[in-house]
Amino acid sequence: MRQITYHIHRYQQGRAYVQSFSFDYEPDRTLLWGLQKIKDEQDPTLTFLAACRSAVCGACSIRVNGEAMLGCESKIDEITERFGSDEIEIAPIGNFKVLRDLVVDWESKVDRLRTVAPWIFLKAEFNEGDKIVRQTPKDFKKFVAGTECILCGCCVSECNKLTARQDDFLEPYVFTKANRFVLDSRDDAPMAHIKPAFDNGLWNCVHCMNCISRCPKHLKPAQDISNLRKEATKAGLTDSKGVRHAVAFKEDLMKTGRLKEVSMSLKSDGVVDSAKQAVYALRLWKHSKINPFELIVPQKPVNGIDGVRTLVKAAEEASK
Amino acid sequence: MEQFDVLVVGSGGAGMRAALEVGRRKGLNVALITKIFPTRSATAMAQGGVNACLNNVAPEDTIETHTFDTVKGSDYLGDQDAIEFFCSKCPEGVLEMDHMGAPFSRTAENKIAQRNFGGQSYPRTSYSADKTGHVILHTTYEQCLKEGVHFLQEWYLLDLIQVDGVLGGAVIWNMKKGKVETIKAKAIVMSTGGAGRIFWTRTTNPFLSTGDGMAAAFRAGCGLKDMEMIQFHPTGLGKTGILMSEAVRGEGGYLLNSEGERFMKKYAPNKMELASRDVVAKAIEVEIAEGRGFGGTGLDAYVVADLRHLGPEVIIEKLHGIRDLAMCFEHCDPLVQPVPIRPTNHYIMGGIDVVDYKTCATEINGLFASGECSNISIHGANRLGGNSLADGVVFGKVSGAGAADYAEKHDQINCDAELQACAEAWEGKFKEVTGRTAGRPVVEIRDALANAMWNKCGIFRDEARMTEALNEVNALIEDYKTCYVGDTDRNYNMAFVNYCEIGSMLTVAKAIVSGALWRKESRGAHTRDDYTKRDDENYLVHSIQKLREDGEYEMSTRPVVFTKYQPEERKY
Amino acid sequence: MKYAFFPGCVLESAAKEDYLATVAVARKLGIEIEELDGWTCCGASHVQDIAPEVTLATNARNIALAEEKGLNLLTVCNTCTLMLREAKNELDKDAAKKEEVNKQLAQIGKQYRGTIDVTHFLWVLIRDYGLDKLKAKIVKPLTGLRVAEYYGCHILRPQEELGFEDYQVPTSLADLITAIGATPIDFSRKLDCCGFHAVYPAHDSVMQMTGSINNDAAKEGADCVVTPCPLCQMQLDMFQKEAKAVVGGDKDMPILHMSQLIGLALGITPEEMGMPARHLTSTAPVQKFVG
Repeated sequence: MRQITYHIHRYQQGRAYVQSFSFDYEPDRTLLWGLQKIKDEQDPTLTFLAACRSAVCGACSIRVNGEAMLGCESKIDEITERFGSDEIEIAPIGNFKVLRDLVVDWESKVDRLRTVAPWIFLKAEFNEGDKIVRQTPKDFKKFVAGTECILCGCCVSECNKLTARQDDFLEPYVFTKANRFVLDSRDDAPMAHIKPAFDNGLWNCVHCMNCISRCPKHLKPAQDISNLRKEATKAGLTDSKGVRHAVAFKEDLMKTGRLKEVSMSLKSDGVVDSAKQAVYALRLWKHSKINPFELIVPQKPVNGIDGVRTLVKAAEEASK
Repeated sequence: MEQFDVLVVGSGGAGMRAALEVGRRKGLNVALITKIFPTRSATAMAQGGVNACLNNVAPEDTIETHTFDTVKGSDYLGDQDAIEFFCSKCPEGVLEMDHMGAPFSRTAENKIAQRNFGGQSYPRTSYSADKTGHVILHTTYEQCLKEGVHFLQEWYLLDLIQVDGVLGGAVIWNMKKGKVETIKAKAIVMSTGGAGRIFWTRTTNPFLSTGDGMAAAFRAGCGLKDMEMIQFHPTGLGKTGILMSEAVRGEGGYLLNSEGERFMKKYAPNKMELASRDVVAKAIEVEIAEGRGFGGTGLDAYVVADLRHLGPEVIIEKLHGIRDLAMCFEHCDPLVQPVPIRPTNHYIMGGIDVVDYKTCATEINGLFASGECSNISIHGANRLGGNSLADGVVFGKVSGAGAADYAEKHDQINCDAELQACAEAWEGKFKEVTGRTAGRPVVEIRDALANAMWNKCGIFRDEARMTEALNEVNALIEDYKTCYVGDTDRNYNMAFVNYCEIGSMLTVAKAIVSGALWRKESRGAHTRDDYTKRDDENYLVHSIQKLREDGEYEMSTRPVVFTKYQPEERKY
Repeated sequence: MKYAFFPGCVLESAAKEDYLATVAVARKLGIEIEELDGWTCCGASHVQDIAPEVTLATNARNIALAEEKGLNLLTVCNTCTLMLREAKNELDKDAAKKEEVNKQLAQIGKQYRGTIDVTHFLWVLIRDYGLDKLKAKIVKPLTGLRVAEYYGCHILRPQEELGFEDYQVPTSLADLITAIGATPIDFSRKLDCCGFHAVYPAHDSVMQMTGSINNDAAKEGADCVVTPCPLCQMQLDMFQKEAKAVVGGDKDMPILHMSQLIGLALGITPEEMGMPARHLTSTAPVQKFVG
């Protein structure tokens, strides 16, 4: 009889260990079914959460062979085929405090969610007259995707930025939630969501794209972050190395069509920080990584630069 | 010991709406306890929509029509004054959700979109694509965050404390700390949801729907009303019980048994697969019981729905939702293979006996109830699609306001001794129960309960089967007293929580069987093979069960309230 | 086998050695690559963050330039690959957007059609050229060289934009390393992010990310890290010393461009590919393996 083996990362009161459980293979079963089977038949102390078992409640997210997913919609057949093994490693999702075995602490995440005022500031006009809220189907479509977030935490699990440090960044879904209100035509206070996002690491996303690759609802938190950056910049929130970096890229695109790297640090870090990095810059110069003469000798623009400039203007015009 | 003016139990649509209502009152402090993170609730799973006469699509719709549709849908067991009140409040409830930021789909006139739903005269079901429950739940949660509602998360209700018919507080299991907590409260709102898990895998409900609130209120002396009224859907997914839309039959899918036979020809030769819900559900169960299902005859057995003859165009265009579900949770593409299906439990109309629909008050002073755990009674013997989200939105608010009003006018009673005694009893129970080294595994009791309830008090109901079911439930209640749990740790002991939940399920299941045995007629969702007709003369009354001191259930009745509509035969 | 070559900005400056190596390798293998005249910066995700409409238009132009040549667009930088493919996917999926962008392009006499593919050098070697053919050209198999295969995010994720292989279980780079005689170590951090794109705003986090990758490569016994992305190479090499100060560790870890590693096996001299001159961490320990 074919056996499926779960290697489960267990944790109880400071003790962390991996325990293996095997059971008879059955076709078309989910990872969650396997967990329940182990708890029912082998070890009642195995602790995990699940509620809807139909991928709408977000309770059963687990990390499977290093990848966060919902246990209820992930098939054992698919996992064994993708990873080429009947042995499956199951751990709690990452970047959360573990309470016991596969159960993580959500309570401490709520204050971080609250940071971006994840609720509507309804436009005053809807409280006048017949008090009926109106929104065009087109405006509805603009933000509705972001409302599909089920707060499962899969986007958090392998977020490389949060793994490095949590105090200067928020969970990807928090940005998604903020952006959902920014895009909602009924909301009157985009800055109430944008400003706290900006103040809490909006520009610190490293673009690892794990959030997008993990989301079981096919949402794109990294793109939400990108849109919030655009809106923040438009609103004048530009005091960030990230903004200056992006603006420098765009300037170079207009000027020569390509990036002029040597001026990048100067523009992004500012003169003071750049001076601190002078020693570092000398090191780069030594290995021909940068050419300081490019600072004074203008780079040659690309063939067709006039067209590029026209195109950029046309695109900017059209987006207004 | 914690102390609040109002305590809400449960974080579904109704519970959070109640907490929000209290939270908005100046000078009242409110807390909401929930056994899991708030947005995991069953409300998130409601797809279709929320009913309200908004006239956005059908100008000719009226509150009265909504009322009549609901009365008729209830097979005249719903209280008409409560239903009138409910329907008149639905528009306000839905518009409030819009004001709170729920993303409703829109009409060309930029208003909330509304669609047709079963049993309704006009398109009045407001929706957000197929995620209406999800958006209502999350929107309400957002507003709770905004109002600073105090969530006590992963706190599991053990018992309610009342002294001489007046509520005083609750005893709670703090799941994270693994300890018994006590809460004093002037008023408590129960919004703990349904109990579908008594059928274990044969339900659309989440693992959370274990009837905890009903059982706790019942133990505290509150009545349970119309518990025999339970809805089933003929087409749930085979392995998980997840609801599959009836479009699978509507569009012309064939139901086949393991012999490849379109078995509906034996049960409804003219209408075949399009026969009514209960006929189809029964036919499937007979096929399985007589060995013509796939995978044996247990709760895991199933027949199949074959859609392949409809062709890829119909399947992809009209049945894409069904296809997604089948591929995602059954690992089966209807384009190339038949989909395993079987009837599944969906909703319980019965619940905690609410005696005043204008406040959601129960017989216990200070105890209120709303949502699926309550019986107000607006759904009677059969709930209409789109009325459950509306129930949560409307009566969540009403129960919150009712509890708030009550808390403003009453003082906290002294119940320290009772709370302490109850807490100590639970502390002792935790140690005793989790310390057992032998006994029938509690999950075995859970599975045996599901088998008994599904086969003998589910879709088939008659005196003989249900008497067996009652005996089996009673035997399981005995086994439960010495059952094996197997986890002694305190921190996040889900085995202990599951043990408590199975206790709730046994308590509720017994009320369901007892009610179903008592009601010797067929009405709404309660269809008996030995009493196939509705019997208005004897049973146009609510059944109310109470727990006697000796542990037995005592049955009484209460007249149904009529205003305008006299009972007539229900035909669609 | 001919491609329009999109080197990307970094190959013109900090990672010139990757340009040299890529061109030399392509020549050795008989893959024709013709640099796309007039290409512009892909936006590198940064311009996308402040002016997505601009990068959609300029990347449509980049792709249109290749379409005029009738050639698939070959990239070597993961981020260029992702940015160009994102633009392409958006335009191919959304007819209204395509029409709008084409109106803008019309002003400069260009048109986006959606007729060519945007591909990466690694994918070309595996899918178009073939590893068996590559194996046959190896003159100096890198026997015994233990390589930490490091993919870089933007060649794997988001999977719906890239989709060359399973984003969680990629094998392309390891297969390639094996084909040229070296040994991939099944690097535990092969899917991690180097942090390059946030090196300015999230400096501390990024140094930790960079340092952990280099450290663990050393711990797992790698002689070098190899990556198909010049931005990752730059990050892991240029910031290696600084990152080490954050996470500790004493071993230097040579960081090679994928093109350089192949080049060595094909008998191209290290000097021709900027080794070790253009590396901050010496590549000498790797060059030892070239028999």
